[in-house]
Amino acid sequence: MIKFITKKILYGILVLFGVITVIFFLFNVLPGDPATIMLGQHANKESVDAIHKDLGTDRPIMEQYALYLNDLSPISIHDYVNTKSHWYLDPAKYSWKSLMTLGKQKVMVLKVPYLRRSYISKRPVSDIIKETLPETAVLAFSSIVIASVLGIFLGIVSAIRRNSFYDRMSLVLAVLGMAAPSFFVGLIIAWLFGYVLRDYTGLTPTGSLYDIDVWDGEKLMFKNLILPSITLGIRPLAIVVQLMRSSMLDVMSQDYIRTAKAKGLSLYKIIIKHALKNALNPVVTAISGWFAGLMAGALFVEIIFSWKGIGNEVFEALTKNDLPVVMGATLIFATIFVFINIVVDIVYGVLDPRVRFK
Amino acid sequence: MQNDLLLEVRNLVTEFDSDGDVIKAVDDISFTLHRGETIGIVGESGSGKSVTSLSIMQLIPNPPGRISGGEIIYHSKTKGEVDLRRLSEHEMRSYRGNEIAMIFQEPMTSLNPVYTCGAQVMEAIMLHQKVSKKDAREKTLDLFRQVQLPDPERIFRVYPHQISGGQKQRVMIAMAMSCNPSILIADEPTTALDVTVQKTILDLMLKLQKEHEMGIMFITHDLGVIAELADHVMVMYKGKVVEQGSVYEIFSNPKHPYTKGLLACRPPLDKRLKQLPVVKDFMDKDIDGNIVEIPKTVSEAVNSVIITREQREAEHAELYARDKILELSNIKTYFPKTKSFFGKVTEWVKAVDDVSFDVYEGETLGLVGESGCGKTTLGRTILRLNEPTEGKIFFERKDLLRLKPEDMRHLRKDMQIIFQDPYSSLNPRATVGEAIMEPMIVHGILQSNKQRQERVIELLHTVGLEQKHFSRYPHEFSGGQRQRICIARALALNPKFIICDESVSALDVSVQAQVLNLLNDLKREFKFTYIFISHDLSVVKFMSDRMVVMNKGKIEEIGNADDIYNNPQTDYTRKLISSIPKGQLEDIRESMRRKKDNMMITC
Repeated sequence: MIKFITKKILYGILVLFGVITVIFFLFNVLPGDPATIMLGQHANKESVDAIHKDLGTDRPIMEQYALYLNDLSPISIHDYVNTKSHWYLDPAKYSWKSLMTLGKQKVMVLKVPYLRRSYISKRPVSDIIKETLPETAVLAFSSIVIASVLGIFLGIVSAIRRNSFYDRMSLVLAVLGMAAPSFFVGLIIAWLFGYVLRDYTGLTPTGSLYDIDVWDGEKLMFKNLILPSITLGIRPLAIVVQLMRSSMLDVMSQDYIRTAKAKGLSLYKIIIKHALKNALNPVVTAISGWFAGLMAGALFVEIIFSWKGIGNEVFEALTKNDLPVVMGATLIFATIFVFINIVVDIVYGVLDPRVRFK
Repeated sequence: MQNDLLLEVRNLVTEFDSDGDVIKAVDDISFTLHRGETIGIVGESGSGKSVTSLSIMQLIPNPPGRISGGEIIYHSKTKGEVDLRRLSEHEMRSYRGNEIAMIFQEPMTSLNPVYTCGAQVMEAIMLHQKVSKKDAREKTLDLFRQVQLPDPERIFRVYPHQISGGQKQRVMIAMAMSCNPSILIADEPTTALDVTVQKTILDLMLKLQKEHEMGIMFITHDLGVIAELADHVMVMYKGKVVEQGSVYEIFSNPKHPYTKGLLACRPPLDKRLKQLPVVKDFMDKDIDGNIVEIPKTVSEAVNSVIITREQREAEHAELYARDKILELSNIKTYFPKTKSFFGKVTEWVKAVDDVSFDVYEGETLGLVGESGCGKTTLGRTILRLNEPTEGKIFFERKDLLRLKPEDMRHLRKDMQIIFQDPYSSLNPRATVGEAIMEPMIVHGILQSNKQRQERVIELLHTVGLEQKHFSRYPHEFSGGQRQRICIARALALNPKFIICDESVSALDVSVQAQVLNLLNDLKREFKFTYIFISHDLSVVKFMSDRMVVMNKGKIEEIGNADDIYNNPQTDYTRKLISSIPKGQLEDIRESMRRKKDNMMITC
C-alpha cells in the first residue's frame, strides 16, 4: 500500500512538472508587457527597464523558465551574496531553512514555493490565494456533499423504481440540470429565494462566507452558503443521480445479488450491504472529478452571489492581465486535481479489495 | 416414505412477458421430492429448468415474470404444510436460505466481490439463527472444514477473487448448508468448472446429502452428470416435462426421442464415431411444430457411425505421411508476477514452460488439461497474440517470430481462432453480416462488397444458418448459433489452420454435439488443420487424431488420442480420465448399490 501511494505521489509530481512547463510557456507567448500593465502606456523607458530587470523578464526565456522552476520548487538553489543576481535569496520573497552551502555564493534551501507577486496590487500571490481559496473550497465542498448525498439516494430510488413515474421525472430533471447554464440557474435561484421569498427563507441574494460587521468585525455567515452551493451543486447532482441509477441497475442484475436474495435477505439489506458498495466506484470517480472541476468552475456562481472566492479573483486578474495571479491560481487548481486523484485511488482500494490486492 | 415428503409441485406454470407475447417458460409441470432423494432435472438452455427452481424459491423477477398457476407445497419440519406461492415476501424470506437453499451455476460471479468469503457465510447464519458473532464464526469455519476447503482460516478472511472457481463453489455450498436446509437446489453447480473439479464437487454433495438427509434438486444439461448422482430424473423440453422416471429406467430404456438424443449426443469414450448423433436424429417437427418421433434406439444411432480401428489406421498412415504445417520448439511464455518498485520483474508465472510438438497438415491435434495448465496461453502464443519469452514457431516453414509485422499481418489470414465465449466475442452493435465481412475487408478478399455479401451468405449456409440472419444482431441468437457465426467469421478468410479454444465449453451437450459435427464436416470439406483446446477429455478424444495432455505449463503426454485414453502413462492423465462423468449403466448400478449399502448401515 505504501509503495502504491509513493508511486502515485511520484506520478503526481511528474504531472505537476508538466503543468508548470505548459503554464510558463503558454503565458509567455501571451501578449502584454508587465511593465506597461503596471505603469500604463506612457511610462518612461528607465522605469520600464527597471521593472524588467526586477522581474527578470530581460533574461533569455530558458533562464526565466529555470528561475520560475527554482521559485516553485520546495528545494531550491540560490545566491546569498550578490543582491543584484536574479538568483538572490531575497528575504522579501522567500521564507526558508538552509540545507547546505554549495561553493562560495550558492546555498541550497528548503522553502515555501514562491508564486511571485501580483502586477497590480503588488501583494504576494500566495497571500491572495490563501485568502480566497478557502472560501471557494467551502463552497465547492458543500456543493459536492449536497450533490453526492442527495444524488446517491435519489439514484438508488430511481433504480429500484425503474421506469416508474418518479424515475422518468428524475431523468427529465437530470437532463435539465445538466443542460441549464449555471449563471442562468444562479440568477433564478438568487432572485427567487433571496428576493421574492426572502421573508420566508431569511436569505439574501448575495453575500460571502465572512461578513464584515461594523461592530463585531469579521463574522461567519453560514446561511450565505446555502444558495450558491445549491446552484453550484445542481449539475453534479444531475450527473450523480443518473450515474448512480445505471450503476445500481447494473449491480442489481449481478449474480451475487441473486445469491443474497437466495440467502433470504431483505431488499433493504441487499441494497445497503451488497449493492451499494459495488455500485459506488464509478460514482466516486465522477464526484472527485467534479469536486476539482467545481473549484475551478465556481466562477459564475461566485460572481452572481458576490462570493469572495478564487474564481472572482482570477476573473478580475484576467481582465487586468495580472499574469502571476492567473498562473498561481492555475497551478493551485492543478495541484488540487492531482491530490484528489491520489485520494480517489486510495478510496478505490478501500471500496474494492480487487484493486487493493492487485 | 410418505412422511419423508418434502416438496410437491403440482401443475406449476410460470410465464414471462416478452414484447407483448406471453411465453410459458414452465408449462404445467408436477413432481415430488423426498427427504434424502436427489431429483435430476435435465434439459437444454431455455427448457425451463432454471425457471422451475427460481419459481420454488419465489425469485422470479417480476415484471416480466410471474407464476400464474399451480401449487408448490413445502412440508416444513417445524411449520407443517405450506404453499410457498401463498406466502408474503416477508414470510418467504424465512424459508429462503434457511430451509430451502440454492447454489448457482457461476461460482465466479455468485459471491459478492467486496466482502470476504467468511463474512458472506456468516451473514447467512446470523440472519436465520440467533447466535453471537463468535459462534457464527466458529460455525463458518466448521462448515469450511465440512466442504473440505484447504486452510479454512485463510479462506475465511480472503476475498472471492483470491481463490479458485472450485473453491468458490465450495464456499457457495458451505453458505447453502449453513442453516441445515431440508432442500438444496443446485442449478448447474458444476457446469462452469473443470471435469476434475466437477468430480470432487459432486462427491462432496453426495457426502453432505447423506449426512444431512437433504432433498436435492440437481439441474443440469448433461445427462452424464445425473447418472452418478440422481435417484429420479425429469427431462424437460420447452417448458414441459417430457419424461420422468428412475435414473436406471431413463438410462436403460429412454422413451421420449429427446431423451434418446440427449443420451446419444455425449462423445462416447469406448467407441470412435465419425460424427455424433444429435437430437434431430431422433425427432423431427411437423409444420405445426409438433414433435414427430423417428423410431430408432440409442445404440442403433451410435452403431451406424462407428469408425473401425482399421479405417482409422489407414487414415493415419496417409495423414502422417504429409508435411508438417506447424512446428513448435521449446516454447516458453512467461508473465511477470511480482515487480520491484522500478518495474523490474522479480518473479515470473511460467504459463507455458518448454513445449515442443509438430502438427501435420490436415490433422486435428487435441490439447487437454485443467484450467490454468497453460493450454490457452499456448494457443495464443502460436498465433502471436502473446509473444513467447523463448522458443521457435514455424508455420509452413516460415519462422513466425522473425516475420516483419506486415508479413505477419498477411499470414494471419491463414491462421484463425474460435474463442470460448460466443457471447462476448461478437460485437453487440455489429450485424452478423458486418461481423463476418470485416476480416474479409481488412485482408482485401474479393473485389467488391457485393461479392463479399454473397460469400457471407454462402458461409452462413455452410454453418447451418440462413440468409435472413445476415442483417440480424448477435443478441437475437442462441449460444450455439453464435458459435456458428464465430465459425463462419473464421472461415471467411479461407484459413489453413484454426485454433478452437474451448469453443464448445460454454454450450449445452446437445448443442455441443452439433457444433462438433459441424467442425468435423468443415474439416472434411475444406481440409483444415485444427488445434482443439478443451478441458473435457471426452470431447478432445472424440475430435483429435493425436492428443497433448498439458499440466502446469508442461507436456505430460503426447500421442494417438485412443492410445492415451486406453493406456494413460501418467497419474495426471489417469485423473483426467477418471473424472469424466461416463453415464454408463454399470456406473448407475454401482452408485445404486453404494446407496443401498449406506441405507442398510443407517437402518
